[in-house]
Amino acid sequence: MGTISEEVKQAEGTRQGKVDFKMVTFSLAGKDYGIDIMKVKEISKANKFTYVPNSSPFVRGVFNLRGDIISIIDLRIMFHLPAEKKNEDALEDMIILRLEDYLIGVIVDSIDKVVGISSADIQPPHPIFGDINIKFIKGVVENEGRLYIILDVERILGGSEEIQKKETSIIPQLFEKKPEVAYDSKDEGELSFNFIKETLATFKSFFVSDVNIAWVKSRFDEWKGIRAAKGSDLQLKDPEEAEEYLETFYSPESGVFWSDKMREAVSAVLPDLSGGSISLWNPGCGRGFETYSFTCILRNRYPKARIKVWANDNDLLAISMAPNLLFQRHDIPDFYSPYTVEGKNGLQFSQEIKDSILFEYHDVLNPNPFPEVDLILARDILSFLPVINQQLLLKEFWEKLRPEGVLILGAHEEAPAGEWDVITTSEMKAFKKKM
Amino acid sequence: MRVEYINPFVEAAFDVLKEVLHTDIHRGELFLKSATQSVLGVAAIVGLAGDVEGRVLFDMSAETAIEVASVMNDEKFTSVDDMVKATITELANMITAQAVTKLHELGFKFDLTPPAIFTGENMEVTDTEVEALIVPVNLPMGKLEINVAVRERA
Repeated sequence: MGTISEEVKQAEGTRQGKVDFKMVTFSLAGKDYGIDIMKVKEISKANKFTYVPNSSPFVRGVFNLRGDIISIIDLRIMFHLPAEKKNEDALEDMIILRLEDYLIGVIVDSIDKVVGISSADIQPPHPIFGDINIKFIKGVVENEGRLYIILDVERILGGSEEIQKKETSIIPQLFEKKPEVAYDSKDEGELSFNFIKETLATFKSFFVSDVNIAWVKSRFDEWKGIRAAKGSDLQLKDPEEAEEYLETFYSPESGVFWSDKMREAVSAVLPDLSGGSISLWNPGCGRGFETYSFTCILRNRYPKARIKVWANDNDLLAISMAPNLLFQRHDIPDFYSPYTVEGKNGLQFSQEIKDSILFEYHDVLNPNPFPEVDLILARDILSFLPVINQQLLLKEFWEKLRPEGVLILGAHEEAPAGEWDVITTSEMKAFKKKM
Repeated sequence: MRVEYINPFVEAAFDVLKEVLHTDIHRGELFLKSATQSVLGVAAIVGLAGDVEGRVLFDMSAETAIEVASVMNDEKFTSVDDMVKATITELANMITAQAVTKLHELGFKFDLTPPAIFTGENMEVTDTEVEALIVPVNLPMGKLEINVAVRERA
């Protein structure tokens, strides 16, 4: 391989006509494309773009190019072409374009070289090049046996009549353009669904995965009705709306002492005692209401057993309150009374209950240094972890749970069916390891 | 890390540092870390045994160590010499001992090992199977990180 300028010369030499048009060529999904070199400022490699919330899916984020903040567009996503999955650290090939007075970066599969051609050889586009809407194509040209599709970047990334607008305004502009590209209605539904998914992650760090997709989908159908009734569009515009969307997600009786109804439901899924002890792991225990409730239920169900509860949370403030939780008599259902003692400032759980529970300030994604457990209570924890961590934690649950053990997830969460069996009762859902 | 352990360490660090350095100190956000962490340059380590197993690491840059030692000894130091090392070791010992005393009052029984000090550049510390609680402390002389990694004895 020679330098680019050598190649250009070579390319020039092979052409019969006068070279008056040079283009930077690159590939997208295996096809060759070109962009007028006069629009290209430079080519560059980069990764770790800063994500911009609520932007279109093809906007990968912004990037600091030696002090200039530029928007980065992924052409593959924009044109619905398959993008090869890269590692998080892998660098993306970028072409930095100069359009009038602003810069914008586009990500492509790989950048090839500079090709010089005669503009007379450029053929008009033909609808047969299906992948990309014809109005974005300036023309097609053949060079050394390869067919290049020349993209009209100004039409794609701006629209010439409004080109004076600043970079910041280009994104909504692109967005408005989208409906012109003919989608069928299913695509549009999927598009809004994807927006919902992304905004939930941004505003509430709620990550949609196999764990909760069933709920998110059924809620999406409900949501359409709710929003239509209000006359507002489907998108979640701020954390409050995201919270409203998630309103029905949270498991019943979260962060409170469990009622008798909940207690009976939980008791129904408890396994029979195999040895003299029973252990529970309760990640994300928060202030400990559910941990104490569950511990009392265990004490009631297995009166003679040695009970060991590992409760942890990475919210230091919440868990700091847990070991010495104070409450009043009227705060709790009668069931708990035998397990409480009267203190100076109110009611507390008895030393026996407290000694069974170890509250730890701990991040479950770090090593969990305790032996196998009989029960895992992790309601509404997984959904608020990034998908990769959800998988890690599910694996950790699988490894830490004894063969007969029971996993309790949130009311609207599912463990993967390949590895877990559902045990259902009328009141709740729990999971057992598939053997 | 058991919730009850956190406050004694934070309080002890504050009480002792305030007293020996005669100055205002500010605490950063506490956080947890598990992977390998870099160590700033001067690190004093105190082992813990008893109800728990683990260690406490006091970590600061050489410049901070020199300044802290200068204030504590009322004498100007210019390099990390034996006196500076001895002073930082003693500081680590005082903080850990006070924390352990507070914990003892709460009913947890720990023993300390004699402190050791490491100095050098580009050092890292890795705890396998234990996550570390980091207490960042901002001193006028620079940043001090208290890194507590303990776990319950199984």
